[in-house]
Amino acid sequence: MRALALVTLFAMGGVVVGCGGEDPGATSRTRDPNAPLEVLVVNYPLQYFAERIGAEHVRVAFPAPPDRDPAFWSPEPEAIAGFQQADVILLNGAGYAKWAERATLPRSRLVVTTAAVKDDYIQIEGGITHSHGPGAEHSHEGTAFTTWLDPKIAIVQADAVRSALARAQPSKRAAFAANFDMLKQDLLAIDGDLERITTPHGKTCLVGSHPVYQYFARRYGLNLKSVHWEPDKAPDDTQWKELEELLRTHAAKLMIWEGTPNPATVEALKKRGIGSVPFDPCGNVPSEGDYLSVMRFNVTALEDALSN
Amino acid sequence: MKNAFYMASRYMRRHKGKTAILIASIAMIVFLPLGLQTVVDQTTSELEARARSTPLLVGRKGSPLELALSSLYFAAKPVEPLAMADVDRIRDTGFALPIPLHVRYRAREQPIVGTSLEYFDFRALRVADGRQMATLGECVVGASAAEALEVGPGDAVTSSPTDVFNLAGAYPLKMRVVGVLARSHSPDDDAVFVDMKTAWVIEGIGHGHDDVSKPEMAGQLLKRDGNKITASAQVREYQEITAKQAESFHFHGDPATFPVTAVLAVPNDAKSQALLRGRYLGKDERDQIIEPVAVMDELVTTVVKVRSYVTAAVVLLGISTLLMMTLVFALSIRLRRREMETMTKIGCSRGTIASLLGCEIGVVLAAGVAIAIGLTTAAHAWGPALLREVLL
Repeated sequence: MRALALVTLFAMGGVVVGCGGEDPGATSRTRDPNAPLEVLVVNYPLQYFAERIGAEHVRVAFPAPPDRDPAFWSPEPEAIAGFQQADVILLNGAGYAKWAERATLPRSRLVVTTAAVKDDYIQIEGGITHSHGPGAEHSHEGTAFTTWLDPKIAIVQADAVRSALARAQPSKRAAFAANFDMLKQDLLAIDGDLERITTPHGKTCLVGSHPVYQYFARRYGLNLKSVHWEPDKAPDDTQWKELEELLRTHAAKLMIWEGTPNPATVEALKKRGIGSVPFDPCGNVPSEGDYLSVMRFNVTALEDALSN
Repeated sequence: MKNAFYMASRYMRRHKGKTAILIASIAMIVFLPLGLQTVVDQTTSELEARARSTPLLVGRKGSPLELALSSLYFAAKPVEPLAMADVDRIRDTGFALPIPLHVRYRAREQPIVGTSLEYFDFRALRVADGRQMATLGECVVGASAAEALEVGPGDAVTSSPTDVFNLAGAYPLKMRVVGVLARSHSPDDDAVFVDMKTAWVIEGIGHGHDDVSKPEMAGQLLKRDGNKITASAQVREYQEITAKQAESFHFHGDPATFPVTAVLAVPNDAKSQALLRGRYLGKDERDQIIEPVAVMDELVTTVVKVRSYVTAAVVLLGISTLLMMTLVFALSIRLRRREMETMTKIGCSRGTIASLLGCEIGVVLAAGVAIAIGLTTAAHAWGPALLREVLL
């Protein structure tokens, strides 16, 4: 009916063609092809990967404050505006930085670096499944997100970074590829070391101070379960009970910590026959060194702890 | 001559009704084709410019015109939706930048357009007041929409419920206005823009509610079996996305299946455009890809056939009106024969009488044309908007 109305009204007056049209492909967002790419990331590993691969051809920004866990930090709208202007936005995926799921970000410049391995995400058990009203039953259970602790996944993420940078700046494709190859070798070296160290300890029971080592444990076939302890806080009675409950079925001899643990807690664990070793997931910018040096330190510390 | 004008004006004042009818007839016969031409020319130019600036549109198979009207002018009834997977399908070809569109809901009379940020770049839309939307539940409004809804940054806009009797349908969502766009003299001026995710919340695919696992929610649970909770319909679903509640908002289902009403595809170049079109030629293809300008051209081709009849009708109408006017003047002269004889007797020459009648006719014609020009000017200013309102 509307079409008929349109036909009739057009016909009554005749149609004059010739109004200045716009260029079909024109967009108002243009950038200097030789300027460094503006890259925004949601965690430090991605910052490191982007800086290694992009080198002088990128300017990487990681806006999360150093004292906050970037996985749970949520930017203000003004900070989101910064993300909206970026040439490339690197997300971790696997439910990391949930704010990105609620933010308005340009889809064409958004890269979920674990998209290629999304079928391998580890679901966290124990989520509440519920239904209400006319809606279907659903669950809010989460996904383990410290994906880069599996160096094989870290390589996949780095490759996604390389691909995104090459797409944004095709003229630097070769440089990005060469830099990625070097990073890949470094990550493979860490993977090789960890494999060598952990292979004899596949059946050893380990406990993580926080549930962040799922991908690490899966990669090296480790028998690891987690509690919810903070390195800088002494556990309360409930947390000790939680550990004792766990130890009944999982006789762990080593606790892996996200940071250097409280000496009193280390001593108390020692009395229970449990050693402590820090293994920094490096989600935020380290106070010293870089991603690679932190991972190498983790390897050494773990090797020492397991050999003892 | 001055005297002739005086006498003509006295005569017309004495016969106000007849003079008014004659002036109105002249005005209409001049204005109708002129004004209509102006309004339609302007409107078609605007419509065609919009179509020409949109290289490709992808939608479910159906009427190409409905797809174009819905996606370019946010008009017509909602079309059958695609899924987000169809957006990714275009992206994965590498031939074009896909911009999803979700046009199904309204805030009062203004269309709510769910899209991605790329749309604003593509249409060169600039935020004149406030800022760009940044999170779920925020919106930016076009200049005309801001006037119609009487809102600005900091105010709120509520989506209109689609069906008050459908309890499972879309609930109204209160959205924060964070920016007003600069006027673009296009249908974008009338729209309320939201993120795709906000559009899906309006649709009921995403929602936020109280945490049913909390002990204080026990009164609203029907059953709890380990980690499986069945809550009653009393669980409060949020009708507004505030910063405090934002984290409770979540989506259910596979995002690849979430609806979009159309995809605006911006090809890299002419070759990519041709290759992308080729992808939609399969026999079992569920989707259609259209060039909006071609759809409008097709419409124009149809229009040309109809236009000839309408033009003929207007010409015939004009001729008959002119004949009627000639008759009216002729009869008027005949009726005034005694008056003219009197004028001759008191010494008026034939020339004076002719100039007297000529003045009368001239004034009527001039007044009619002046009114027609005034009406055409008004139509030029407000007609296209009025016509768009009627058409779309």
